[in-house]
Amino acid sequence: MGQRRRTAALKSPSSQRDSGDAAWVPNKKHNICMVSDFFYPNMGGVESHIYQLSQCLIEKGHKVVIATHAYGRRKGVRYLTNGLKVYYLPLQVMYNQSTATTCFHSLPLLRCVFVRERITVVHAHSSFSAMAHDALFHAKTMGLNTVFTDHSLFGFADVSSVLTNKLLTVSLCDTNHIVCVSYTSKENTVLRAALNPEIVSVIPNAVDPTDFTPDPTQRQHDRITIVVISRLVYRKGIDLLGGIIPELCLKYPDLHFLIGGEGPKRIVLEEVREKYQLHERVRLLGALEHKDVRGVLVQGHIFLNTSLTEAFCMAIVEGASCGLQVVSTRVGGIPEVLPEDLITLCEPTVRSLCAGLESVIAQQRSGSVPSPATIHSRVRNLYTWKNVAERTERVYDRVAGEGVLPLDRRLRRLRAHCGPVAGSIFAFVAVLDFLFLLLLQWLVPDHLMDVAVDATGPRGLWSQEKSCKSRFYSKSATKGAAGASSQ
Amino acid sequence: MDDEAFTNISGKPISLECHSHSSFCREFTVSSPKVSIGKVTVYTCCVWLLAYGVFFFTQNTAVLSSAIFITLIGMMLHIHLVKVDHETLLIIGSLGIQVSSSYASGREITTFIEMSKIKDIVINEAIYMHQIIYYLCVLLKDPSEHDTVSGVVPLFQSSKPRLNCLEKVYKSCQEILSACQ
Repeated sequence: MGQRRRTAALKSPSSQRDSGDAAWVPNKKHNICMVSDFFYPNMGGVESHIYQLSQCLIEKGHKVVIATHAYGRRKGVRYLTNGLKVYYLPLQVMYNQSTATTCFHSLPLLRCVFVRERITVVHAHSSFSAMAHDALFHAKTMGLNTVFTDHSLFGFADVSSVLTNKLLTVSLCDTNHIVCVSYTSKENTVLRAALNPEIVSVIPNAVDPTDFTPDPTQRQHDRITIVVISRLVYRKGIDLLGGIIPELCLKYPDLHFLIGGEGPKRIVLEEVREKYQLHERVRLLGALEHKDVRGVLVQGHIFLNTSLTEAFCMAIVEGASCGLQVVSTRVGGIPEVLPEDLITLCEPTVRSLCAGLESVIAQQRSGSVPSPATIHSRVRNLYTWKNVAERTERVYDRVAGEGVLPLDRRLRRLRAHCGPVAGSIFAFVAVLDFLFLLLLQWLVPDHLMDVAVDATGPRGLWSQEKSCKSRFYSKSATKGAAGASSQ
Repeated sequence: MDDEAFTNISGKPISLECHSHSSFCREFTVSSPKVSIGKVTVYTCCVWLLAYGVFFFTQNTAVLSSAIFITLIGMMLHIHLVKVDHETLLIIGSLGIQVSSSYASGREITTFIEMSKIKDIVINEAIYMHQIIYYLCVLLKDPSEHDTVSGVVPLFQSSKPRLNCLEKVYKSCQEILSACQ
């Protein structure tokens, strides 16, 4: 099957590939491990990105497993659709669903995953995820190829971003390839992490157009509804939204707001609603499940996004795909996302957003907006997961042809790229990590770990012998919650 | 009938014995190696040297005598509660499964699961300490409800054989289970 090919290479931890292995074969199948702190049952853009990308890669014949931390009682090994295997590793969660990082404690479990699944490429997601950085660090120590996808933008000015940027520099300086979701995000990442732009690719996110189809019958025609769907946090500009609502509601008596999402800034919207007596016209729906998002979107005429920073913004694509007029702030990567005539861009101020919304409301009244079906047909082929998977596959092909830096060159790279102090500290940590790996390899040698049975994909064990499906029960199924496969 | 050499997850050799009493009754015994005299010596020496070190500074003879007791009691507890010599899985079609483990001291623990409570026998994966391992387990069901699983009984818990050994046991168990359903 070509998937056991790296068995020999894995046994040499000192990261030097034999030359025969490095020969570049374009269509070769990779064993990919996606690592991120963020995965289902947590909800968000990163989570669905990992899931959809994995499914498309499995369809293309690659083997994909996902490693994340345990969510409550959900720990151990689970299977999702098409035999996508998810390791919920029992690592301590520290802040915002991100694990604590000590650089070392996750090595035994991650090594076990990498070895038993015969992983060749480790793909880490999201710069907020400590586990992703840990995995990159360990993978480089173990001599595996690494890819990193950055999903967010960062500032340069305040203390926390200075620290995060330093960490990112350390983490990415010897990573094989970096993927960003938009050109703005690429610029941002290259600057933050002081990278060579050549190793940074841009692969946008995608939406499933069949999930987001327009349905104008759901709209109420005696009013204009503005839909906002985002987490109610500062980054999403909820304070701006709190300024827009009273101003526009005063001007247009038939204007309604439909707000989906949950977060600490909900209180701002509730105050506004209370103060201006808008309970009838501003509805807060609370946290939405992904399957309910479309049902909310199709009720609206206008989709409003007030983000203050955004690398790509899936929400506006979803909104446009449902046939809504999109009004958004002109921040981050948003201007690249949709063609100009499908989106109204405003400055991130209350006045500018109000002006933008007013012009769209006027267009809506006069009926000069394109029909939802036309908008949908234009958007549906812009961003597809198939395209994302193809481009990611090309990144993997390229990465598989590259060697991984051996320890001595890695240390030199760290010290040259990350400054004398941080560089030396992390070079020291890298050496410790390597020694720890040697200790683990002595305690539990690679050959004692059973190779995991490959259940992924159309040629996987599961699809071949359907009758044996009950053979590998995930723990969730045994507890009667077969929901693991219905994500 | 046959006796093959396998290893457990930490690389120690274990042996699997399969007895086929009849077409619907099979017995699997996994035997771990006996307590090695070397290991006992090492542990004893460690405790005694430590005790001697403490004695050297405190000049209290109670330390030495307590060290002797600690080693003796420790050894007894170990062979009585921890060290399992054999683990046996007896599967009888239409009747049930008997799981027994015999400790080094001779103590034996036996449990029996009747067939009406057994849903299936499967190989599952679990995170054990800092490893991810395969293990064999019996899925239990409520006789009243057919599709739900009410509990899991892991098999060969102390010997922890590797996948190739588990597969062998799994396959013969499935033969019997499928024949009696």
